[in-house]
Amino acid sequence: MTHLFGVLSTGTSALLTQQRAINVTGNNIANVNTPGYSRQRIGLETAIPVATAAGMMSFGVVARGIERVYDRFLGVQIQDAGSKSGRWEAQQAALERVEALLDENGGWGLQAALSDFFGSWHDLALKPTGEVERTVAAAAAGRLAEAVRGRAEALEGLRRELDTDIASAVEQVNRLALQVAELNGKIARAELGGEAANDYRDRRDQVLKELSGWIDIRSCEAADGQVSVAVAGGRPLVESGNTWALRVEPGGDGHGRILWPDLDGGTTDITDAVRGGRIGGTLAVRDERLVAYRERLDELARGLLEAVNDVHAAGYGADGTTGTALFTGTGAADLRLNPAVEGDPRLLAASATAAGVPGNAENAMRLLALRETPLLRGGTATFEEAAQGLVSLVGFDVQQARAQAQHEGDMLGFLENRREAVSGVSLDEEMVNLLKYQAAYQAAAKLVSLADDLLDSLMSMVR
Amino acid sequence: MRITQTMMARMFTGALRRQTQAMIVQQERIATQKRINRPSDDPAGAGRALSGRAALAGLEKYASGIQQGKSRLEFNEETLKLIGDLVRQARRTAEEKSAGGVSAEERALAATTIQEIADQVLQLANARWNGDYVFGGDRKDAAPFVRDEDGNVTYRGERGEFLIPLPGGGRVAVDADGRNYFQNAGAGGVNLFDALRDLVAGLENPDLAEGTVQIRAVIEPLERAEVQLRNKRAEVAPQAYRLQATGEHLARVRAAVQAAIGRDEDADVAQAIVELKNLEVAYESTLAAASRILQPSLVDFLR
Repeated sequence: MTHLFGVLSTGTSALLTQQRAINVTGNNIANVNTPGYSRQRIGLETAIPVATAAGMMSFGVVARGIERVYDRFLGVQIQDAGSKSGRWEAQQAALERVEALLDENGGWGLQAALSDFFGSWHDLALKPTGEVERTVAAAAAGRLAEAVRGRAEALEGLRRELDTDIASAVEQVNRLALQVAELNGKIARAELGGEAANDYRDRRDQVLKELSGWIDIRSCEAADGQVSVAVAGGRPLVESGNTWALRVEPGGDGHGRILWPDLDGGTTDITDAVRGGRIGGTLAVRDERLVAYRERLDELARGLLEAVNDVHAAGYGADGTTGTALFTGTGAADLRLNPAVEGDPRLLAASATAAGVPGNAENAMRLLALRETPLLRGGTATFEEAAQGLVSLVGFDVQQARAQAQHEGDMLGFLENRREAVSGVSLDEEMVNLLKYQAAYQAAAKLVSLADDLLDSLMSMVR
Repeated sequence: MRITQTMMARMFTGALRRQTQAMIVQQERIATQKRINRPSDDPAGAGRALSGRAALAGLEKYASGIQQGKSRLEFNEETLKLIGDLVRQARRTAEEKSAGGVSAEERALAATTIQEIADQVLQLANARWNGDYVFGGDRKDAAPFVRDEDGNVTYRGERGEFLIPLPGGGRVAVDADGRNYFQNAGAGGVNLFDALRDLVAGLENPDLAEGTVQIRAVIEPLERAEVQLRNKRAEVAPQAYRLQATGEHLARVRAAVQAAIGRDEDADVAQAIVELKNLEVAYESTLAAASRILQPSLVDFLR
């Protein structure tokens, strides 16, 4: 190997490689704020050494490749935390809406309606003959029925709104699954030649993270670099370039069920197997919490329809009629004041006997006594306590969801910080690198110009 | 651990968000003066406050019922006292006019007075309070005592009581059956109306001797009627006392419940302001630190 030209070629390789390193650094700096970007590093190696008279020696430097600095285990953990955080965030948001619906502070609460209802019977007990007292009692009973029914309707309305949320979330899942499949193909093709498809991988990680925020996923990467994604206990959503498009169709109760397409063209209902992500959280509220609240309302309504109606039917109205139901309906959703009573408050049965009409208040006293009788929650709660219990229950649920959302959000933040610590771009570091590569570039240029001078001297010797 | 600009920015934005959230909470407390603004702020406390408010609504009803009951008892008392005075007056007249040497004219004059007393007693027995006949039992919408042209008074009312609900399922029941006050001759009582009718008849009797016998026969029943009325008045006394005592108890309970609700619900404004101040300090120092730490980078020092 001719030594002078060796110097020249060493200089050239150094110039080119340092310039490439500057390119990589520049790319890092450019992407300092790109979400999901992993900083890249150029792998430098000495050129293949050759035997010289002085011994083995290498002439220059080569770039082995550009690698992304990345902790693959963090990726899976972030997905996991992302689906938990998404779940509790969605749950918190939905439950806070319930909390606003069941507001008792505004003075139009269930509890206030119950107080008014029993209060009106108190007045009726004091003056069973009172025209005003009867009108007020009928109105209070009507308002109570409306308060219970209105809440049941609001809960059902919220469930329908959550249906819409779930349908659009499933669309998001399908869209992101397609993106993962597409990126799988790009990565596989790009990496055939042995080069790492760094930027596609960053993009895919980002998409997977977004996907896990919607639904809980299991992902694993095959040897060819393609990831497969499974949802709901191992049912494939993405496998290499293929996706399984989820569908939402109304189930038996009219609320959307999430269907996964079978291989044989059928579908499997995976709704109950989805536990994480925003979809999981929304489902938990729609199918568990709201159902539980509704059950409480139904219990309250049944109490009114049974205990209150029994007492009322046993009494006699001011016109002597007996056996009148105060409330009609079968549950919270259709609880109404008996239209006959609404039209004629004389039907309100304050008297316990036919002879006692109109001045007897014994039956009104009995109905009033129900106020302090624990009839609900398995004989442990009065009507008003049951209403308070519902408010407290929602409060506890919101508080828990808020705490969980906070906790899982912190967890996700912690993991993202870990990821940032490994893969994030530090401008200071890049500036130092830039200086380093710049200095090396300048020195290599000096080397080339030195070799040029040397060649010049050599040539002038010959002339 | 490597620290990048993004991490610092994220940390500061996270801290600022948490601090502003905490400030909003304190601001809401100060603005509403309430510690619990929605159930999730303190589910147990919100439940307690709600049950306190339910108890308060119940207590207010009981208190107003007791107030009505007291005024009903007072009305009963006044009415019975008035009737008692009238009966005594009738008895005295009977005693005076049954003595010897009373002329027919004097007796006729007394007869009109007694007739007026009888009218007034009948009117009082048909007294109404708050729109209801007081002595008609459960039949509160029609005058319970009706007099026919022969001067016989019949009871058209029912049995029944005026009920005042008390907390805990208790009650005070005031007898509203007019027979127990003014008639009930069958059960050893005195029919006041009959006695007055007979007195008038005796006074109007042209046969003075026969009239004297008639008048004398009425004196003893009138005495017993007075006792009967006094006994009924005495019956009311413990009831009035019970209402009074329960009312006073309710007032104290109400104050205690109100205080308990306040303890659960009301914000300690002074504390909220202090906390808000602390948060402001933290917020401002975070901003100051952010502006000093986030801005410089190595770039500023190169060249």
